[in-house]
Amino acid sequence: MGTTISNDLIRGHTDTVILNILSQGDNYGYGIYKRIIELSDGQYELKEATLYTAFRRLEKEGSIVSYWGDESQGGRRKYYRITDSGSKIYVQNKKDWDFAKGILDKLIKGGLEDVKE
Amino acid sequence: MSKNESLIEKKVKAYIDNLFSGVGESQQLFDLKEELAINMKEKAQDYKARGMNDEQAFKEAAISMGDLSGLVDDMRRLGQDTARLAINTTMTARISTAGIIAGVLLVLFGVFTVAMLYYMGVDAVGTTGTGIFIVAGGAIITYSVLTRETRRKYAMNRIRAAFYGLAAGILLFSIFTAVITRFATGEMFIAIGSLMVFFLVGIGLLLFLLLTGTDRRKKG
Repeated sequence: MGTTISNDLIRGHTDTVILNILSQGDNYGYGIYKRIIELSDGQYELKEATLYTAFRRLEKEGSIVSYWGDESQGGRRKYYRITDSGSKIYVQNKKDWDFAKGILDKLIKGGLEDVKE
Repeated sequence: MSKNESLIEKKVKAYIDNLFSGVGESQQLFDLKEELAINMKEKAQDYKARGMNDEQAFKEAAISMGDLSGLVDDMRRLGQDTARLAINTTMTARISTAGIIAGVLLVLFGVFTVAMLYYMGVDAVGTTGTGIFIVAGGAIITYSVLTRETRRKYAMNRIRAAFYGLAAGILLFSIFTAVITRFATGEMFIAIGSLMVFFLVGIGLLLFLLLTGTDRRKKG
């Protein structure tokens, strides 16, 4: 698992990561947790605490809605679904990320000789 | 469900109960605990499937939960709000109860005085005049019943309930004035005329309230 800095960097994008997973279909807490591990090839594990705080925040801002599943065996799962406004935010965040990624690359790795006159 | 699974279940439940111990009850807390419990249980079962024993599986699941103190604080705030809400609710409930009792007593008082005056041989106008207590009682009962929270319905907004009370009062008053006018003038057409004025106002108000109302039914 990565360093503290890379963990913090990724954690700053928790909301977008969740929106990405939910835009591929409804899912519940542990399902999303597992999907994050899968998507990162086992290199990143999001703590539950971060995940549930993000759910509450996203639900409050109207990006996702929740509903209870009807599993009868040993408790119900709480599923989340992305809303229309959540989808819009996801698309925008993706654009912002592409933009920031390019800039960060230049700022962190670039030297003045890379700047074209 | 096997014995082993229920051991994990018990441990998970104890862990989560302990985590949120002393936090005021709220619907959100109840939901969050259920959500955390099922997810933690599934995680522990996955660890077990990979060859851990119950004890290890539960411990691993607990460790990977991370620091939940932010969520606990969130829930504590909500719990306090709920406690405040509960106090408000009992206050409103008490006012509502007092209103229903006072309203019923007023109506009964009106009915009894009308009956009493009738048998005393007081003239018809005087007799029906005391019917005004029934009008007032009816309005108070309407308001009090609507502001009461029941198991299936939330209490109505107090201003809205007051308008309903007013509508009920106007409707009863229109009947009251009609009867009085009928006995005072001896003419039915004047009675209907005076009935009409207040009755239309009351019905208009009532229709407006009925058509603009929000759903007060409790969900689930």
